[in-house]
Amino acid sequence: MNQQLRRVAYRTGMFFVSIALVAVLWELYKVVGPEKGGKLFGVAILPRANDTAMPHLWEMLSRYAQPEMRSPNSNPIWFVVFKGAFYSFRLALVGFFLGSTIGVALAALMTRFKTMERGLLPYLVISQTVPLIALAPLVVSWGGKLHIFGFTWPRWLSASVLGAFLAFFPIAVGTLRGLKSAPAASLELMDSYAASWKQTLVKLRFPAAIPYMVPAFKLGASGSVIGVVVAEISTGLKGGIGRLIIEYARQATGDPAKVFTAVFGAAGLGLAMAGLVALADVLLMRNRPKETTT
Amino acid sequence: MSAVHVAGVSKIFNQGTPKQVDALVDVNLTVEPGEFVSLIGPSGCGKSTLLRLIANLLEPTTGEVTVNSKTAAQSRLDQDYGMAFQQAGLFDWRSVAKNIELPLELKGWDKEKRAARAQEMLELVKLPEFADLMPWQLSGGMQQRIAIARALAAHPPLLLMDEPFGALDEMTREYMQGELLRICAETKTTVVFVTHSIPEAVYLSNRVVVMSPRPGRITDVINVNLGETRSEDTRAAENFFSGITSVREALRGTHADHANAGAIRGVEDR
Repeated sequence: MNQQLRRVAYRTGMFFVSIALVAVLWELYKVVGPEKGGKLFGVAILPRANDTAMPHLWEMLSRYAQPEMRSPNSNPIWFVVFKGAFYSFRLALVGFFLGSTIGVALAALMTRFKTMERGLLPYLVISQTVPLIALAPLVVSWGGKLHIFGFTWPRWLSASVLGAFLAFFPIAVGTLRGLKSAPAASLELMDSYAASWKQTLVKLRFPAAIPYMVPAFKLGASGSVIGVVVAEISTGLKGGIGRLIIEYARQATGDPAKVFTAVFGAAGLGLAMAGLVALADVLLMRNRPKETTT
Repeated sequence: MSAVHVAGVSKIFNQGTPKQVDALVDVNLTVEPGEFVSLIGPSGCGKSTLLRLIANLLEPTTGEVTVNSKTAAQSRLDQDYGMAFQQAGLFDWRSVAKNIELPLELKGWDKEKRAARAQEMLELVKLPEFADLMPWQLSGGMQQRIAIARALAAHPPLLLMDEPFGALDEMTREYMQGELLRICAETKTTVVFVTHSIPEAVYLSNRVVVMSPRPGRITDVINVNLGETRSEDTRAAENFFSGITSVREALRGTHADHANAGAIRGVEDR
């Protein structure tokens, strides 16, 4: 237990060290980097180090405390960013649950029917090569035409669906691998008990799949965040962090620090989703054999 | 009524393809209730296949398998047998007691009955205080004892074992053999036991079935008479060694090349 605590402390420490390192690099480049950008071996790749392109870190941080706009009753920006991130978080959560349900169901189906796997898997792979930006307006227009039993498609649901679209693939593939990881001897044992396919799925295949599913769900969680943010941007959905990013980016010449507040908000959103899965990981794996390597 | 009856059974894998394997050809075997029968033979002689046919994990190509006067399929559905493999195969995510309860859970027993039976089985294998531990906290021999407890949890009349002690060290192995005999005597369980080891087969069995490969078949059945109670002294007894010698000779007879008797691959002489 003590060792585990130390490992957690070490990891948390390393996290902050790496963030500090990036911050130091940022400020260092601002000192030594060329003000108007520069060429390296004749190619213009060095970014401009002036305050418009790369505002100081303390400007970004202090920007959080200042009001969003110049009007007198404007909220401080930390509040606006938090509200936007929370809005997107809820959309991402819906997308994540949608994507996990579909992903796990597909994986179970593919485990059950070999032909399903052979027929379906290539399409799943192809689905991920479709650019999200191209898909976003389509989903919005399809959703707008849906009216089933008095259910009207809210605009935000399109963003969640696109989040689910990015989330389901790693989850389906990871879960499929996990479900197939049950040892042949254990499957034979369940057979010898005349266990039904469902019993085998619940009592053997899923528990055996957990170590494969956790990293897949982590990928899925970050996928759902990316999906939602990109969908907000490309469909112009209001209220979320994606919308804030483009809005603030347009104001970057006059207020360069502003866009970074929203970008950090999006990063925090991704971390929150990953943290949620990590929590589930700890709960589900508490009785499993511990890795002996540190 | 015989516990196991195998009549004219053959098993051919990939029939009609270039990869065709005659795993078993015309096998006949009867095991009486309460009997301990070992199947021994070199790799590829079909002893594991025969065990899986009895367990109805495989269907015979021809012939008939009866277990407790029922078809093998019916007795699998009725869970008339328990099974143990070389790997204990305990589920990592279940406690020791929950592992033993697995077959009972699948049968739909209620919680208290399951817990009581699990405790009874733990006492049978002499690990009563280990109920709440996780499998990975146990040694290999302990894990195998839990696997035996799991196999016997539903009190099946028949126990099928596929090299259950193959992965254990020699000391643990001999201890486990003694424990298995004690458990089977207490529960009056019939056992069909697949092994690579000649002394193990002789020590445990009433009869040793000697098999030979290509095609897999039964070549000899050796009666061993070491008496009802066996102890560590039995391992030094005259008739133990004579049993080993007859099994060894029967195994050599399975090879055309007598001069090259060392080539009985896959059979341990220890």
